[in-house]
Amino acid sequence: MMQLELKVNDRNAIVKEIRRKGNLVTLSVDNKIYEVDIDKVSGEEYSILSEGKSHNVEVIPTDDPKVYRVNTIFFAFDVSVNDAEARYMQKRKKKDADGTTDTIKSPMPGKVVKVLVQKGEHVEKGQTVVVLSAMKMESEYKAGCDGVVSKVAVKEGDTVDGNQLLVIIGKDAKKK
Amino acid sequence: MGKIDNPVRIKKILVANRGEIAVRIMRSCREMGIETVAVYSDADRSSLHVRYANEAYHIGPSASSESYLRMEKILEVALKSGADAIHPGYGFLSENSMFARKCTEAGIKFIGPSAESIEAMGDKISARKRMIAAGVPVVPGTTEKIVDEEEAIRIIRGIGLPVMIKASAGGGGKGMRLVKKEEDIKPSIRSAKSEAKTAFGDDALYIEKYIESPHHIEFQVLADRYGDAVHLFERECSVQRRHQKVIEETPSPIMTPEVREKMGACAVAATKAANYEGAGTIEFIVDDQLNFYFLEMNTRLQVEHPITERVVGVDLVREQIRVAEGFPLPFKQKDLKMNGHSMECRIYAEDTDNNFMPNPGKITHITEPMGLGVRCDGYIHEGYTIPIYYDPMISKLIIWGRTREEVIERMRRALFEYKISGVKTSIKYLLKIMETPDFRNGTYNTHFIEKNEEFLSNKINCDKHCEDIALIAAFIEHSSRLQKAKEVIPHERGHGLKGWLHRGRRAGMMRL
Repeated sequence: MMQLELKVNDRNAIVKEIRRKGNLVTLSVDNKIYEVDIDKVSGEEYSILSEGKSHNVEVIPTDDPKVYRVNTIFFAFDVSVNDAEARYMQKRKKKDADGTTDTIKSPMPGKVVKVLVQKGEHVEKGQTVVVLSAMKMESEYKAGCDGVVSKVAVKEGDTVDGNQLLVIIGKDAKKK
Repeated sequence: MGKIDNPVRIKKILVANRGEIAVRIMRSCREMGIETVAVYSDADRSSLHVRYANEAYHIGPSASSESYLRMEKILEVALKSGADAIHPGYGFLSENSMFARKCTEAGIKFIGPSAESIEAMGDKISARKRMIAAGVPVVPGTTEKIVDEEEAIRIIRGIGLPVMIKASAGGGGKGMRLVKKEEDIKPSIRSAKSEAKTAFGDDALYIEKYIESPHHIEFQVLADRYGDAVHLFERECSVQRRHQKVIEETPSPIMTPEVREKMGACAVAATKAANYEGAGTIEFIVDDQLNFYFLEMNTRLQVEHPITERVVGVDLVREQIRVAEGFPLPFKQKDLKMNGHSMECRIYAEDTDNNFMPNPGKITHITEPMGLGVRCDGYIHEGYTIPIYYDPMISKLIIWGRTREEVIERMRRALFEYKISGVKTSIKYLLKIMETPDFRNGTYNTHFIEKNEEFLSNKINCDKHCEDIALIAAFIEHSSRLQKAKEVIPHERGHGLKGWLHRGRRAGMMRL
């Protein structure tokens, strides 16, 4: 039987499929049993009937094959599959988490209006490194830590996609 | 009324705009048997207005300064395509007097007022003077710099409290004082003066009536070239975020028939004072006691014009075109009535949970609401990529009902039906507004969003159950992907490939 560990917000949940007959699926989420009628109505949209209630849920794949964006009418969740491989990748990616490096990506498509730093330049936490413009609104992207710019991946005038790398800030070698 | 010219029928209109308003204008043209010419930038080749029009011409790169704002290029297309008139829509060149003038010089009718009217109403000081002359109330205040303290006190007493004292050279809140009480007048003048002196090296002041809990209420007007003008009642536009309108409705929940009549008469007087022609909007600032003051005139069609159309039963674009053709207005003030209630929600591509960051991108799925009393003015469709270059407004949802209560319930229903996937939109935020008591009760002003920020920021807790449903959906999606990845393999079995190779291929194929 299929079982997955899924992470949503700060919660790690075990989801287990118990029975499946066509659209009718019995599963457990942690220890709670759900009997649901689940139907994929379009590419990314599910209709879930649970305890007599009708839920419309969008499941949108992301660049990471183990992470899904799940939208209900009022809420948006990032749900990630927590398997051995994901945990391993997570460990390798942990670099940024200790706050000594920062990878700045664009959260949305837009146009690069200004690049305010150069490779090798020292930056301080909170310093604006890139200004993006989308739909007549400009937003500033700031360094998440003190450090040295190790990569500038865009130049002024570039058009960027959502989640595209802008700047990497690495450890300051001179500082201990 | 003077002599009526022979109307000249317009046969072909170039719409110098994009997005929903370009499509909206072309709809009326199609009903009137007028051919349409679209213009488009690089980013808009696949946009709906290009496909809706009879003709379409490329006018330049994506940035609007290199396409939709290029007057010469647009005029060149108009002449080439043989258009008799240009409809500017809203935004872009719609309030550009130079463009209106160039159109006239090129022998093409600009659908809107004359360049002189645009100029007269575009300049705040000249507009204010014109309104005072026409007997339209303006926000009481000084227009000259005041340096003398005694004079300032005399002026404040004349205007009446509360007042706002501003540094004449000011900006950024420096030297600004709100005075509500008599005893604060002198100290406020002194501190404002000294602050202004330090900040700007100039202690001259400007005094203006302070409007507490202001409402933004505007009147739709229509005028023909023979000096006749009517108003098509008000629109309440107080639900605003950072001076951007979010929801508009008509009638205004605070309006009384007496005040409506007075404001309407002022709107008509203002229109006549501007020698106006076509559709326009007179904006007023209104306080809780329904004192109203002229703010400005928008010399174009407004984004929110459909709610007026719905309640008054007039196609405003059609009337704009008829007036441009030289017809006199087809109705008198007494012929115009309000029927029921209408409301518009502007749908923006933005992330309301993340500081309203614009969210352009590709639409993967869209279901527009339908049913009784629902009008949807949009332009996006499945597979369309919303460009990064233009306004984040992607659609307008316009609801009609017999009463305000009915409209709010119908709006909630329609917002629930409206499904857009691929980009984030303001739909759920609008739903929250429909649930906000101040909005439901009609007791709101321009501070509404600020005041209800906490309620609107949607911090209702998602309980474990709704999290579980999300987990179940993700589980089903991921497990069916894993299943599919497995199914790809079997037919390769028996080809002597080793297990590890299968695994390697599978991983490569599915990246799982």
